[in-house]
Amino acid sequence: MSNIISIENLVKRFGEKIAVDHFSLHVEEGEILGLLGPNGSGKTTTINCLLSLLQYDKGDIQIFGKPMSPDAYDIKSKIGVVMQNIAIVDTLNVYENVDFFCGLYINDKKTRQQYVEEALEFTGLTEYKKYKPKKLSGGLLRRLNIACGIAHKPKLVLFDEPTVAVDPQSRNAILEGIRKMNREGTTVIYTSHYMEEVEELCSRIVIMDHGKNVANGTAAELKASLKNRETIRIGIPNLSDDIIHQVKEINHVYEAVRDEDNLLIRCDGGEHNLVHILSFLSDSNIPFGHVSTEQPTLNDVFLAITGKELRD
Amino acid sequence: MFGRIFIYKFKALIRSHWLIGWNFLFPLVLATAFSLGFGNLIDDDPISFHTMDVGYVAEEDSTFLTVLETLSKSTDEREAVINLHTYNSEKNAKQALADKEIDGYYLLDSEDIHTTVSENGIVSTTLLQIVKDYKNFQTTIKNIAIDHPENLESAVELMGSDLEIIKQHSFGHSNSPYLQYFYALLTMTSLFGSWISTFTLQGMCANMSERGKRFECAPGHKFKAIAAGALAGILIQSASNAVLVIYIVTVLKIDLGLNLGLILLITTLGSALGITAGTFMGALLKKPVLLVAVPMTYAMLCSFFSGLMVASIKQYVQYYVPFLNKINPGAVMSDSLYIASNYGLTREFYQDITIMIVIIIIHIILSGVILRRRNYASI
Ligand SMILES: Nc1ncnc2c1ncn2[C@@H]1O[C@H](COP(=O)(O)OP(=O)(O)O)[C@@H](O)[C@H]1O
Ligand SMILES: [Mg+2]
Repeated sequence: MSNIISIENLVKRFGEKIAVDHFSLHVEEGEILGLLGPNGSGKTTTINCLLSLLQYDKGDIQIFGKPMSPDAYDIKSKIGVVMQNIAIVDTLNVYENVDFFCGLYINDKKTRQQYVEEALEFTGLTEYKKYKPKKLSGGLLRRLNIACGIAHKPKLVLFDEPTVAVDPQSRNAILEGIRKMNREGTTVIYTSHYMEEVEELCSRIVIMDHGKNVANGTAAELKASLKNRETIRIGIPNLSDDIIHQVKEINHVYEAVRDEDNLLIRCDGGEHNLVHILSFLSDSNIPFGHVSTEQPTLNDVFLAITGKELRD
Repeated sequence: MFGRIFIYKFKALIRSHWLIGWNFLFPLVLATAFSLGFGNLIDDDPISFHTMDVGYVAEEDSTFLTVLETLSKSTDEREAVINLHTYNSEKNAKQALADKEIDGYYLLDSEDIHTTVSENGIVSTTLLQIVKDYKNFQTTIKNIAIDHPENLESAVELMGSDLEIIKQHSFGHSNSPYLQYFYALLTMTSLFGSWISTFTLQGMCANMSERGKRFECAPGHKFKAIAAGALAGILIQSASNAVLVIYIVTVLKIDLGLNLGLILLITTLGSALGITAGTFMGALLKKPVLLVAVPMTYAMLCSFFSGLMVASIKQYVQYYVPFLNKINPGAVMSDSLYIASNYGLTREFYQDITIMIVIIIIHIILSGVILRRRNYASI
């Protein structure tokens, strides 16, 4: 495995505002690296610096082991980009759009034709070939945006929130497509503020907040860093302080609090926590109603690190 | 890559209905309006210049008189510019001016030549221009007067054709000055090309559009791409000019006084001028809204100063800021049409063509400097 992207201490200011703050990132060949952060955390700015579209104040960026610059054409030729906003030519139809952008990379006519057809197939746009963009729905436009970004079969693809405002069906198709590309050897950077998506897709996740790299690892690793591993909620009609006190004594329970008629119990690891708690309640003849249990999410990770929710 | 970008830019442009509609139809509408306004004048009044009656009062001998005498003779190429009246005192000249016997007079004292006219206007500009021309040649004329007084008259006559005043007016030529409006119109149409290329650049610059960002991520040489886009633009703009010329000649039945090939050559060069100007603007501008406003203002201003709305504006500029007429692409282009139609392919004509080519090259170089290896502080 070799290092495909290396960003060291990137700083980007817009006037007084620091959009990217000493951000470092390393991406290895074959990864799907998820860049997760709330809106305004600096994901797009980082991507734009990475592509040398933006000047930056400090830092060092290398792609494929070479320094990136506006005229590093050999590097650019191996990158595919799917912009956050739709980046297509309104006056060209679907096929022409893909062919136009693919043509910026692939000169051979036959190869290009094949690549364009494949990209249309890949994004499910073959039947819309002759459509003008303004005739396409939002989801189809997103797919066209993707087709234009990846048709030239790049070794590295940057996806900047490709599923924003996309219907669930298109969204699943997009994620499945990215997985397929990755299986065929493409390295992927995927930015999003949807934690479920990132968790589902990415082999490694970097959490970004206020332009900083605040956490980094697989989803499991990130969650393992949390004290809370399991949250159990039990409806208890006659909940007394005494019961709460006794539950707190159970192994691995580090917090038990009242939430209206519910008892909210947080555990810091261990197995079969629910079984232990329920057998305690039965043994003590305490009646209880519904029971639910939650595993921590990336939102909890984010909450633990930044003190705020990932999504407002 | 060049060929493909060219083809796609061409496609994208001709499918931009607003742009095509404006660039092809607006000039036709204006041409029709011009033709309704004074189309008949072009036929009825081919010679609009009338020899001016000019008074002359001198306290002492001056070579200026030789120049005035030369201008008051008609030649094979032109009729007399002025009709000279000599007075022995300013009082008489003033009286003659008041009686409208003369349009204006020159008073020479030991210091300077003073020009007096009854009202400001084209006569005033013309008379002032004569003095200015004379001053340009004054040293030469004085030297000849000292060394070879016998040759003075023929020397001045030879210089006569070099005088701006002669170049500026078609004294007695068969082409109507109303044609100037149509030359200015062709100029305006050519300069509209600047709008086409700011539009093209919008799709190629990351600070202008999303597709510009996407475009700049690609490995292609920016300059090659822009050249391809510019070529597509020139083709479309030249076509728009050709349509206009053919419309004027065949539908409006106005003789532009030039052969078709030459007009199309000049308008194509003009289109290249407009297109490269737009490329330069597109490279310079940062806000997408300006991409329409700036080229439109540019085209309108340049053609205004080349006489699109007021034909005599060019003569005023020639007197007050002659330099402007040499750098205003609109003035240069309409001048080249004007000179070619009235005097043929003279040195002045080639000078105009050269200036146009130089401006085009400057546009290209400046755009290249700005766009090369560019990344942005903010997008
Ligand atoms: N061109 C710009 N000028 C000023 N501020 C900007 C500009 N682009 C982005 N920002 C600011 O930088 C921060 C990061 O933005 P962005 O990278 O777009 O975040 P994300 O992609 O994570 O939503 C935001 O606070 C945003 O307002
Ligand atoms: Mg973003």
